[in-house]
Amino acid sequence: MKQLSLSLLVFLALLFSGCGGRPALYIYNWGDYVSPEVIRKFEKEYNCRVVLDFFDSNESMYAKLKAGGGGYDLIVPSTYMTDMMYDQKMLRELDRSRLPNLKYIDPDYLKKVRDSEMKYSVPYLVSFTGIGYNKNKVRNFEPSWRMFEREDIRGRCVLLNDPRQVIGAALITLGYDPNTRNEEEIGKAADLVIQWRRNIAKFDVDEAKRSLISGEFWLIQTYSGDMLQALDENENIEFAFPKEGCIFTADTFVIPADAVNVDLAYDFINFMHRPEIAAENMQFVKFRCPNTEALKMLPEKLKNKPSINPTKAQWDAAMPTLDLGADTRLYNAAWDRIKSGSAD
Amino acid sequence: MKTSARKKLNEILLSSPSMIWLILWFVIPTVIVFLMAFKPVDPWGGIGSGWTLQTIRELSNPNYPEIVVRTLALGVGSTLISILIALPLGYYLARVPKKLRDLLLLLIIIPFWTNFLIRIFAWKVLLHAEGPLARFLIYVGVLPQDATLLYNPWAVLAVMVYSYLPFAILPVYAAAEKFDFSLIEAAQDLGATRLQAFFRVFIPGISRGIWTATIVVLIPALGAYLIPDLVGGTASELIGDKIAQRTFIDRNLPHASALSALLMFVVMIPIFFVVFFTGSRKSITGTGHSRGVKQK
Amino acid sequence: MKEHYLTKRSFFPKFVTWTTIVFFYIPLLVVAVNSFNRSKGGGVWKGFTFQWYAQLFSDTRIWEALRNTLVIASFATVIATVLGTLCAFALHRYRSRLQKTHYMLVYLPLIVPDILRGISMLLLFVLLFAWINPILRRTVGIRINLGITTIIIAHITFCLSYVAMVVLGRLQDFDFSLYEAALDLGANKFQAFSKVVIPAIMPGILAGALLSFTLSLDDYVITFFVAGKGSLTLPIYIYGSMKHGNPAVINALSVILLIVTFITVYIAQKLLEDKK
Repeated sequence: MKQLSLSLLVFLALLFSGCGGRPALYIYNWGDYVSPEVIRKFEKEYNCRVVLDFFDSNESMYAKLKAGGGGYDLIVPSTYMTDMMYDQKMLRELDRSRLPNLKYIDPDYLKKVRDSEMKYSVPYLVSFTGIGYNKNKVRNFEPSWRMFEREDIRGRCVLLNDPRQVIGAALITLGYDPNTRNEEEIGKAADLVIQWRRNIAKFDVDEAKRSLISGEFWLIQTYSGDMLQALDENENIEFAFPKEGCIFTADTFVIPADAVNVDLAYDFINFMHRPEIAAENMQFVKFRCPNTEALKMLPEKLKNKPSINPTKAQWDAAMPTLDLGADTRLYNAAWDRIKSGSAD
Repeated sequence: MKTSARKKLNEILLSSPSMIWLILWFVIPTVIVFLMAFKPVDPWGGIGSGWTLQTIRELSNPNYPEIVVRTLALGVGSTLISILIALPLGYYLARVPKKLRDLLLLLIIIPFWTNFLIRIFAWKVLLHAEGPLARFLIYVGVLPQDATLLYNPWAVLAVMVYSYLPFAILPVYAAAEKFDFSLIEAAQDLGATRLQAFFRVFIPGISRGIWTATIVVLIPALGAYLIPDLVGGTASELIGDKIAQRTFIDRNLPHASALSALLMFVVMIPIFFVVFFTGSRKSITGTGHSRGVKQK
Repeated sequence: MKEHYLTKRSFFPKFVTWTTIVFFYIPLLVVAVNSFNRSKGGGVWKGFTFQWYAQLFSDTRIWEALRNTLVIASFATVIATVLGTLCAFALHRYRSRLQKTHYMLVYLPLIVPDILRGISMLLLFVLLFAWINPILRRTVGIRINLGITTIIIAHITFCLSYVAMVVLGRLQDFDFSLYEAALDLGANKFQAFSKVVIPAIMPGILAGALLSFTLSLDDYVITFFVAGKGSLTLPIYIYGSMKHGNPAVINALSVILLIVTFITVYIAQKLLEDKK
């Protein structure tokens, strides 16, 4: 017992030694979604500590905040979640005068999103949901969502584990709006996904990317930047924009209403949009940052990738997911039907 | 009279810390879960005011029977397999010299001090379609060319057995160690065959250990949600996965609560059967050897 | 010693035992091999490297997570051991309706699946915070959130039952006439208790504490539900890395932890042998 209490004291000392001193900026971000080197530079320049916590979906992040897990100074949700959080007064309105670097933000980007004035959110990175595949394994590849029906890759393909993305892809394939509130259209899309489901190995977000690299999976629904990262490890990997169109996701910086260290949060947003920093970060995460100056500073190799600089047609065919409020339940119900496996 | 009042006071003093703690952090939360199932949900993922039976009605979701059956089948299946392996193992451990036994026990326990997620991921590396095992099996012709070992209910079953087996071994071994093996000899002297002696004498003799093993494997297996998520395929969802989805994706806490009540009900089914058929209510309290097992 | 019929001829139990042990170690072998594999995901062998070990030592997040995990496990273990031991004494000492209820209270958490305990704790904290935070804001101007404290509370709750059961098992084997004898020999109650009873059941208490510590270190499910800002624990970090970080670094960490475990166990064995 004595030893236990002694070790307890040591741990207590350790616990408090970490705090105090430099102010801390608490960021709630996606995993592996910011360059550690950039974070180090920020910590040094602003003499602070950055504490990163991770989430793996907008929904789980939101559920955590709702449950009292708040107190973060900066969060990085996707646009539809950002809009919903704003409507619920969970976010602070931004003081533009403290964010001079917003002058670099791509106006084309702002046309696509609801918060086009950057009243409560600043774009961080943009991704396109398309198809990642292994050139060596998939014969006669076609840039189409219909690839998920191809029997020759049965058991070797994976769809995302995300209702809006998967049903959205099916809606686009059928020529419907990925933000539809029409129950019949959603039902038809779910039927199509169930047809795809017989062909896929599983629904998965993160591991699928790694399995594509190792050759376990050959074709996956995935985010553009992830495939550029995968290319570093396996040169046979390619990313394609499906011809039917794809979903466009933008993750944004927002300052929650209950943020503690608001000043540092502003500094961080502004810092991340400093062109040379944004360019450095882009080279790490390999997603497009809608910062016109930073995009110019990228090395040729990265600049030529469609996931970083899509063609006009690709850009126009990409549609954002919107917050549907109570109608989200239509998607949840369809997802239940898809996931339960009872339609077999 | 005075001493008995004092005794009562002592008893209350001694019992209150743990009782208060458990009431505060176990009973109240559990009651809240069940009450929450009768609250309406608001579109923002919060909890509405008033009371409703809507969520309970939603449990008649046509997709649920299949999920419940799958949960029960995998839970009971992994429990049975674990116990079938634990029996000869516990028997062997109880019979070998102490030195070897201590070594074997350590060998069994040590792998489980490595975080379970790491071990499950290691299985995935080993079993995946381009992994060493699959390639070997395809090479020798046991598996067809396009076979995949992962992402099906069998993979879930195998990984569940792997994860929970040590927790079945320990109580079975603990009971076997206390078992008087001369009874087996006596049975054989009286003309029983070896297997008869094993099933008629040894197994009833260690029934308490088997009961504990059943509980410590069955409960986590029924509540599992990470294992099906990691190695299951498109149709491997269990009740646990559904609860996690309702909580963290659909933001529907009342529905998650209703499902939790359903899960508790499902847990009670096999326990009821065991108690009913063995008729041993006493065995429920046999937790002297109960070892911890965390759910995956 | 007389040979038993069963062991004499039966090869089957031996075979099952050794096969199972091999089965247990296969994934550890994979982990060890992949910690030196240049390939991040570890699907195919891409050459030998030490880079993951180097990266491990420069990764401050891992050490922060390790520190949080140890802080949580220490607090949870100490408090759960005290509460669980008191509980076992009460259960053992008294036979009353109160103790029947008490026993149910301690036993029930053992048959409630983790996910249910996680969600129930989360719901309680949600309601508690919703009620207490407005009051706190008005009076002291602070708010409380999910975090290390809520994780510790949750861990104590699930460890308590295990400690109580282990200590109770030990108490049932203890011969209380020894306690009476000490009283007869002139010891007062406190002396008899601290000099006779406590040392006798100490192995039970320590086993319970060790069990709590192990369970707390490895818990993912309940922690995931009740964790909050800045309360990253090792299992949560590992899960994140396995999913979308660098599993190779985690493999390196596991190998190091495994070696530490083996050395500790070896030294403990040696010390025990010397004592005898």
